[in-house]
Amino acid sequence: MIFKHRQLENGLTIIGENHPHAQTTAMGFFVRTGSRDETPEISGVSHFLEHMIFKGTDTLNWQQVNEAFDGIGAKFNAFTAEENTVYYAAVLPEFLPDVARLWSQLMRPSLREDDFNIEKNVILQEIAMYKDMPQFDVLDQARALHFGSHPCGNSTLGTEQTIGDLKVEQMRDYFSRRYAPNNLVAACCGNLDFDRFCELIESICGHWKPAQADRSLSVFEGTRQRKHIQKETLARHHICLISPMVSMQDPRRFAASLLGMIIGDDSGSRYFWSLVDPAIAEAASMQAETMDGIGAMYSYICCEPAAAPKVADIIKGIFSDLSRNGIQEKELTAAKNKVLSAMTLKSEQPMGRIFGLGFNWVYSRLYRTLADDIAAVRAITVDDVNQLIAEFPPGLYSCLSMGPDAQENPLF
Amino acid sequence: MKERLDSHRLSNGMVILGEPMADVESASFYFLVPAGNAHYPEGCSGAGQIISDWLFRGAGSRDSRTLIDILDELGIHRNSSITAENLSVSASLESANLPAALDLYADILTTPLLEDDQFEPSRQLAIHELAGLDDDPQHKVRLLVTEQFYPAPYNRPTEGKKDDLENMTADVCRRIIQRQFDWSQCIFSIAGKYDFPAICALLEKRFAHLSGTGVERPAAGSSGQQYTHEANEGAQVHIGLMTRVPTIQDSRYYEIMAAVSILSGGMSSRLFTEVREKRGLCYAVGARYQSLKDHAAISCYAGTTPEQAQETLDVTVEQFRRLREGFSDEELHRAQIGLKSTLIMQSESSAARAAGVAGDYYYLGKVRTLQEIRQKIDSVSRSSLLAFLNDNPFDDFTVATIGPKPIQL
Repeated sequence: MIFKHRQLENGLTIIGENHPHAQTTAMGFFVRTGSRDETPEISGVSHFLEHMIFKGTDTLNWQQVNEAFDGIGAKFNAFTAEENTVYYAAVLPEFLPDVARLWSQLMRPSLREDDFNIEKNVILQEIAMYKDMPQFDVLDQARALHFGSHPCGNSTLGTEQTIGDLKVEQMRDYFSRRYAPNNLVAACCGNLDFDRFCELIESICGHWKPAQADRSLSVFEGTRQRKHIQKETLARHHICLISPMVSMQDPRRFAASLLGMIIGDDSGSRYFWSLVDPAIAEAASMQAETMDGIGAMYSYICCEPAAAPKVADIIKGIFSDLSRNGIQEKELTAAKNKVLSAMTLKSEQPMGRIFGLGFNWVYSRLYRTLADDIAAVRAITVDDVNQLIAEFPPGLYSCLSMGPDAQENPLF
Repeated sequence: MKERLDSHRLSNGMVILGEPMADVESASFYFLVPAGNAHYPEGCSGAGQIISDWLFRGAGSRDSRTLIDILDELGIHRNSSITAENLSVSASLESANLPAALDLYADILTTPLLEDDQFEPSRQLAIHELAGLDDDPQHKVRLLVTEQFYPAPYNRPTEGKKDDLENMTADVCRRIIQRQFDWSQCIFSIAGKYDFPAICALLEKRFAHLSGTGVERPAAGSSGQQYTHEANEGAQVHIGLMTRVPTIQDSRYYEIMAAVSILSGGMSSRLFTEVREKRGLCYAVGARYQSLKDHAAISCYAGTTPEQAQETLDVTVEQFRRLREGFSDEELHRAQIGLKSTLIMQSESSAARAAGVAGDYYYLGKVRTLQEIRQKIDSVSRSSLLAFLNDNPFDDFTVATIGPKPIQL
């Protein structure tokens, strides 16, 4: 496994990890932009723009784009989150130049008004779809509650109102600021020739002009507010808890992800034994989401409405026990083994490895091998996790719940 | 790379299959037993959901807690699934832990504790999950349409029915396990890094003495209604649609796969282009092939707002019907490239390969090599696909909707 990286004069970074025996190659563009980089009036523009990228360039229309991807058998997609927009594809190694050329061209889209108007409908459909999925809706609204006026609370999808009102000029303006070469990383992983990859990227992207693409970073402890939304059409009670955690740049992020697993993995965790195993809740999970300069622990629990008070008591009990007594060695060992085996399995496919590779660079300008990450996880001690609990008590959370019943006083 | 398939049959008939993979440190294994939903007595739909949870609540000499602790310590990623015909349990892990993991799984499958006090939470979880479907209409509509499309008892929802789950007892589930865990019909597969003789020796010791129980596939009865609607005041109308096609054993299987791929294989496919890209009717629309041993379908889902539901259904059905009028050479070529590419991507995942190997053996009685599949995909021609579409013109659809109001077929 050989890692190489190069930065073009305009700031675009190219990274590659060569796995000569892989049967496929994954490649992607990581754009350091997302909902937290939006102002309220353009809420949802990053995600809408991600859709518009597929509508083509001055020389390629949307049909040609779709046919070009399918014609090389690419498994491709894109996603937008709070602080990244990622475009990725896996192909057979011989098609890497084709897919790299295609994505590079698409990073300079036409953003035509007629395409914009049609795609607006698709976005509105997507907003409607997520409204019918309370497990997503509760998370989205909990994030807004927890982060308050901090931009990490911004909705990725936007609202019917903001998307409905959005003008193509606003999107073009956002694009020109955020898709500057100095805000992009082109990553590839698998069976590849890095030098040829660089030449190709440079030939298409080398002349793009850099621009100011800053992000304001501020630490925020969360509002610690409580809110319940009564929705009579729901069958179950959906709960989301969010508490502060370390950032992606903090080396303690490995301890944070182990803590998430100890509390909320779907097997053998604290939530599992006290909520799922006795069938008090059918789903209960916690995970660390470490972000740019900030972080959070997210819990999601789903149960029958009548069980919600019991669930609240149990969770409060778990959190106060953790703050009082910390974790046990045995829990840490199991969490490590699960994390390590997940990391190993995932990295056996270039498509699984590309995200870790890209995000490490986007956040920390660092290359970490799988072995580096494994060593970091192995080195975590019970004390490390307990210190994290002391500094970021899981009991200091914001909570949003949704269910068919009214609630006079917050349960959590 | 030259492909190798390891195979062995235990004295009781259980089949052991292995597909080694180069350059990986992991392995995945897969047990398939004929204990799917169609096999249970009347009034027991959903028993598989309960059983697949109950099995893991203690086995051999270990109670529930100890068992889960050990599975976690070994870093095992486990999964189980139930279809109309089979119950499968699978695991992915670091290869070094294989012997310990297989020994545990042998306990789980052959000497589960199945204690009374552990039955109730398993049953409650199944009831909760069924109730949770009301908050997941996208999933629920697929079950609704499946229930109408397949003949009884192959149409039973795997999540079960409320009355059945509420009346289920530990004894009924124990009897189902006793009868349906027919080890002479079990298929075991493994992919990744493993030592085949050692695996066979271990399985021989743990399974060879367990005899068959004579499980047979139940006879198929009649199918349900052509259209069902469930009222729901959600933001979207969820449309599930199924149409009959030949099964995986049919010589025209690769023609079917090419047809599905032209319809829904990628972003240039007919459904995505016509329903989403040109008309902006949907965010999610797609079709896939699904097969049981004697029945198969192309199953399609689309979710849209109520005002656009009728047009979405009409345009979707039209895409199926228009396929027989012809397609371009490029469309067929893209479909073939897409299918072959999917195949190679799956070959990098030990979990996908283990499931694929067991599935092939179950449906076909043999395991296809990747080379063979590639050749068959390439052998689909314009004329063979047109001939298939002439014989299967997609005239008949079973449809289900969940949303504020019904639509017209």
